Amino acid sequence: MSAPLAGVHVLDLSWVMVGPVSGRYLADLGADVIKVESRGRIDPLRTLGPFKDGKPGPERSVSYHNLNAGKRCVAINLKEPRGRDLILRLVDWADVVLESFTPGVLESLELDYAHLKLRKSCLIMASTSILGQTGPHAKGTSGVGTMGAAMSGASFLLGWPDRPPFGTFGPWTDGVAPRFIVTSILAALHRRSITGEGCYIDVAQAEAGIQFVSPAYYEYAANGTVPMRRGTAGSPLRSPHGIYPCSGDDRWIAIDASERDHWEALRDVIGGLLKESKFDTLIGRLRNRLELDNAIADWTRPQDAEAVERALHLAGAPAHVVSRGGDLARDQHLRFANHFRTITDPVMGEAEIEGPRFELRRTPHVGTTRGPRIGEHTGEVLRGVCNLSDDEITELEKAGILT
Amino acid sequence: MLHDVRVLEVSAPATMLAGSILADLGADVVVVEPPAGSPARRLEPFLDEIPGIERSLTWHALNRNKRAITLDLDSIDGRNLFTTLAEKFDIVIESAAPGGCAPLDGLKLSAKTIRCTVGGFARSGPKSDYASSDLLVMASTGTPAMSGDPDRPPLFHPVPQSIMEGGAETAIAALACLLARDRDGEGQQAEISERIAAMMSALSVPIAIGAGNPEITRSGTAGLSPDARIPSIFECADGYMIVTVPAFGPSFGPMTQRLAKWAAEEGHVSRDIAEVNWITFAADVRTKAASPAQLMALVKGVASLCRSKTKAELSAAARKLGLLAAPVMDMKDVAESEQYRERGLWTPVRIGPDGREIDAPARFAQFSNFTIETKRAAPSLSQHTAEILKTEAAISTSELQALFVHGII
Repeated sequence: MSAPLAGVHVLDLSWVMVGPVSGRYLADLGADVIKVESRGRIDPLRTLGPFKDGKPGPERSVSYHNLNAGKRCVAINLKEPRGRDLILRLVDWADVVLESFTPGVLESLELDYAHLKLRKSCLIMASTSILGQTGPHAKGTSGVGTMGAAMSGASFLLGWPDRPPFGTFGPWTDGVAPRFIVTSILAALHRRSITGEGCYIDVAQAEAGIQFVSPAYYEYAANGTVPMRRGTAGSPLRSPHGIYPCSGDDRWIAIDASERDHWEALRDVIGGLLKESKFDTLIGRLRNRLELDNAIADWTRPQDAEAVERALHLAGAPAHVVSRGGDLARDQHLRFANHFRTITDPVMGEAEIEGPRFELRRTPHVGTTRGPRIGEHTGEVLRGVCNLSDDEITELEKAGILT
Repeated sequence: MLHDVRVLEVSAPATMLAGSILADLGADVVVVEPPAGSPARRLEPFLDEIPGIERSLTWHALNRNKRAITLDLDSIDGRNLFTTLAEKFDIVIESAAPGGCAPLDGLKLSAKTIRCTVGGFARSGPKSDYASSDLLVMASTGTPAMSGDPDRPPLFHPVPQSIMEGGAETAIAALACLLARDRDGEGQQAEISERIAAMMSALSVPIAIGAGNPEITRSGTAGLSPDARIPSIFECADGYMIVTVPAFGPSFGPMTQRLAKWAAEEGHVSRDIAEVNWITFAADVRTKAASPAQLMALVKGVASLCRSKTKAELSAAARKLGLLAAPVMDMKDVAESEQYRERGLWTPVRIGPDGREIDAPARFAQFSNFTIETKRAAPSLSQHTAEILKTEAAISTSELQALFVHGII
């Protein structure tokens, strides 16, 4: 069976991460996604690593390929009036338009939803920015996902009580917001299939981030307490529940053995102090938490993290290495799930990027292919989608519109 | 937008956000719980720090707009009733236990039913029998190993993220199946791994090694820029600001240029630091035309600038000048933000046995011709069992009592 979005056309005017990730979901589901880029304004993701073999280059960023796999790319300078005309012809073709410009930019180009819907009333258009398109601080707030994370409340929650917040790992909302963008677009496509209506969708990345930490917000709203960062991994309501050091540089094992069977399995493996009766009960383990954690750490510290994971898992005590990149690259579950897909790029050579994050039994995702080079499909798209002749394309090239 | 879509959610921690997104988008979502209540009702934090089946704030946050029934899916009557109900629903969502068993295994579902099964790792293969504990799933994603100061243990989010990542991914999978069904009328099964969903937050960590790069650790980022060790969070007069100082190149460099200029105007860096070309800085360092010491001087100046001003003052300047800077908000700041309020993020909702009203951050998106509304509070245990079994499964008043007597509802 063909993929769920086979036949759906997506015009992707976005760059860096949030928009491209959203477009990648749609491409994986079978949509024809055309990315618009300009050599005068290349996607900054191409300048961010990691690069294949650590050597920078616009076609060598594996992050770029990971977020743009399976898309086509046209090079158009949309700030030129004739470039804008080409964008409008692509809008005529598109079911969905995605964009992540600073709020106000598309308005100034007369390419905002108000203009586009006059041309195509059934268009579904999704805009995303740090704080959205409306509200007193929306205009003028432009930036990156670390800012979205900071304004969602998530960054404040990560860190040690005696130090400033550490914040999220990188631009966290860049991975969170696409889930709300994609679900909104898919719901709009469903409604359109019934009523024919288009839709404008405006997702603020910070507001998307709030959804992922909503229990902490509810704690403030209902209990009046401002949740603070606590540093230590694991829940204060469970024991043993946390991470423990292993041999080697910055190696850790996560252990969750608070439930009775898991606890009994853990104390059988480790023995020693863990056999003391004060640890028999949950309350005993909570009251003597520090002593218990130290005893577990004394046992894990000289050992290899993976060996501890295997031994505890075999015994029935839940544990997992605190995985680094190398652990993930070797991980048997990820290999079995075919999560890493090999792509081949004429410039970069071979590399592995990630596959889709879920599996559909009857209408599977399309295969994972590399991201497009800048303007790789300009001719093909202008001929096939915009119905331009070769002469017209050559003329546009000469006029500097297709750069 | 999903007004014609009906969802049965066999409640578990990882199904909650999936059902909640679909409900917010207009679907009719009914959660199915065992008679003792969903395990998701036992997730902290609790209302007034008092535990109770109706007091989990995580439950309240993720079950708005849903109705709830109880049904013992281990009993033959429960399974039979579920199958009857499922006939009238479009999407069923469940969570698989370690080992791969899922509550709806073996049930005869209609060919048009969309079945979404979310699990911690996977339903088959290596690690399928690993516990779907938030701590373990998140440990396996690559994110914590990259989080936190290198002299302390790695950091984990205090709010469980595996259930958020897995839940949101499940909503996407469900809607993808719905669009496939819109075309040909056929349902299907989708499988979602919380771990693979949550690896999204590890950004490029999962793919760096496979592309021939050295291991990245918290203490050193071989292959990456040493700038990664420059702080991004700075103390200010009333809290903290996040400021990306090392941002160069044609896209972000102008923001650093404006930051340096402002820091100089305010007297926190010297004029010559403001006059460094921050757009070409990275390349200039490689050719020795610029020096990392200039960057460190700017970082020092930014720290001093931040200490002299409040979050509000710094944020206003960031908007006016266009800087890569934002306040590090705590939940009180989020609640009081005029931006979120005026934009319309909040909808009032009642929570807990005393029905106190709070504002919920329900409107995760703004639409031109749809509005996310909170039509009902998170349901109490079994609140809608009678109403739903009577109308949807033709159960009579006496049959309902019989089901209760036998512990099936």
